[in-house]
Amino acid sequence: MPEAVVSGVTLSSQQISLGETLVISVSGINKGDMADMQIVSIGFPNLTASSDIDVLRHDFRQTPFVIERGDEVGSGYTGANVVLAQYPSIEAFSRPWEKGATYTVDLQVEPRVDGKFVVFVKSVAFPHTWDSAHYPREGLVDYQQEFVESYSIQVTKS
Amino acid sequence: MDYFWQGPASLAYGSHLRFLLGSILVSFGILLAAGGGSWDITNHLLNRPETFFAPPHAILYSGVASAVAGAVLLVVSSKNVGKIVLPVKLSIAGVALLVSAGPVDFAWHLAFGLDGLLSPPHFVLVSGMVVSSLGGLAAMAYYKRMSMRAEERFHLHPVFIVLGILPLWLSLSGVVDMFTLPFSETRFFDFNPDPTMAVALASTGFPFVIAACLCGASALSGRRFGAMSLAGAAFVVTGALTSILPADAMHTTLPFYVLSMIPIVAADAIMSYRFWRPFAIPVYVAGAVLGLTFFMLYFPLITHTYNEFTDQDRRVWPSVTAEIYFGMMQTLYPLLIAPAAALGAVGAIAANKLVSQRRIL
Repeated sequence: MPEAVVSGVTLSSQQISLGETLVISVSGINKGDMADMQIVSIGFPNLTASSDIDVLRHDFRQTPFVIERGDEVGSGYTGANVVLAQYPSIEAFSRPWEKGATYTVDLQVEPRVDGKFVVFVKSVAFPHTWDSAHYPREGLVDYQQEFVESYSIQVTKS
Repeated sequence: MDYFWQGPASLAYGSHLRFLLGSILVSFGILLAAGGGSWDITNHLLNRPETFFAPPHAILYSGVASAVAGAVLLVVSSKNVGKIVLPVKLSIAGVALLVSAGPVDFAWHLAFGLDGLLSPPHFVLVSGMVVSSLGGLAAMAYYKRMSMRAEERFHLHPVFIVLGILPLWLSLSGVVDMFTLPFSETRFFDFNPDPTMAVALASTGFPFVIAACLCGASALSGRRFGAMSLAGAAFVVTGALTSILPADAMHTTLPFYVLSMIPIVAADAIMSYRFWRPFAIPVYVAGAVLGLTFFMLYFPLITHTYNEFTDQDRRVWPSVTAEIYFGMMQTLYPLLIAPAAALGAVGAIAANKLVSQRRIL
């Protein structure tokens, strides 16, 4: 069975000014058997438009795609229960994702308002047949009813 | 014996070898195109390709090029007499559809990105494959009627039968696939079939196509043992190469898939047993036996069609396809035996009539 893990999250800064960009690097690994597909999702609850996000580089097998606010997405680790996306996110995926393989995506994002800027990160492997097919396994739950790791930086007025 | 018999083709076509080569190129081209198409479906399931320039597309359009060359040869060999016979007309019409589908398919990819299985250009492409492959097979049968030896005039060599029947079989299967597999929903369009209609079409269309093609192969050989089995083996090899071997998770199912040959060889034996040839019953029985093989011959893709009907919330990932399929073998397949056998018998009768009346073949 596949075992999804987010193996690394790097933020370029803990504090930026409005008008500056934040670079985020996220790596995922499959520690279990080969997955038919595994995704790494990076969500931005403080953003309203995906135009503020750029994929700088990635080594995933397929091109990462943007989920816009209002798009239909699966929830509860299945594609069947559809919900509407509440904020923009990037989904990077490999199909298939080999056992032990690591893939990384680097993003650049420009916050539009000052204050706390939050980034949600998760990874899900398919077929999703056990709890270790998703990462994290516990903690904060997003609008898709899936666990996420939360990272944040402070955005100050310039 | 009628040693000096001159068929219409031998009068019409001085360059009969060019005619044969043309028909072979058309059939071989459609075989490549259909095989490439089948591989393309598997590739989409496994790797989700993002560009038009994928290896299966290269194979597919190489096949189209071969079919175009074949159609040109058929036209050139027809020029000598100023008459174009039906097999040549079919080949030309089919190739015209194929050629027109290529640029439209490319434009469709540019406009809408990743496309589904059923799309207007794909439908034109598969229709062209059906018509061309029928033309190629009919041209081979027509060429055979040029034979100077009366006793061989109407019986094609098994190699030609396989080369002619296999692309037609794959193309017809492609049509059924197109209207039964749930692979046609994209960001822009949802051409996915209704699950109930898809199951009804798959349960009747596939048995009919299998029986018609294999009994057609047998009839074209004069119901001699071997042609049907060879055509069946060629289909199994093509299915293994394009649907099973590209998926690592499917490799363990290969022995099961090869076992589909057993009923085909049995049906071949039933059809060819010489004391039974005057009777119609062996045709019905062989057709019914062949119809029953549809659930095995169209593995693994058929799993997706029936899964949509039984459990739409369940995703058929490559690594769980076999598990879901063998579950269906126990629960669903017994319910499909009667319609599959009946449509297989109908397919066998249709093929026998088509060949015996020599309207096209």
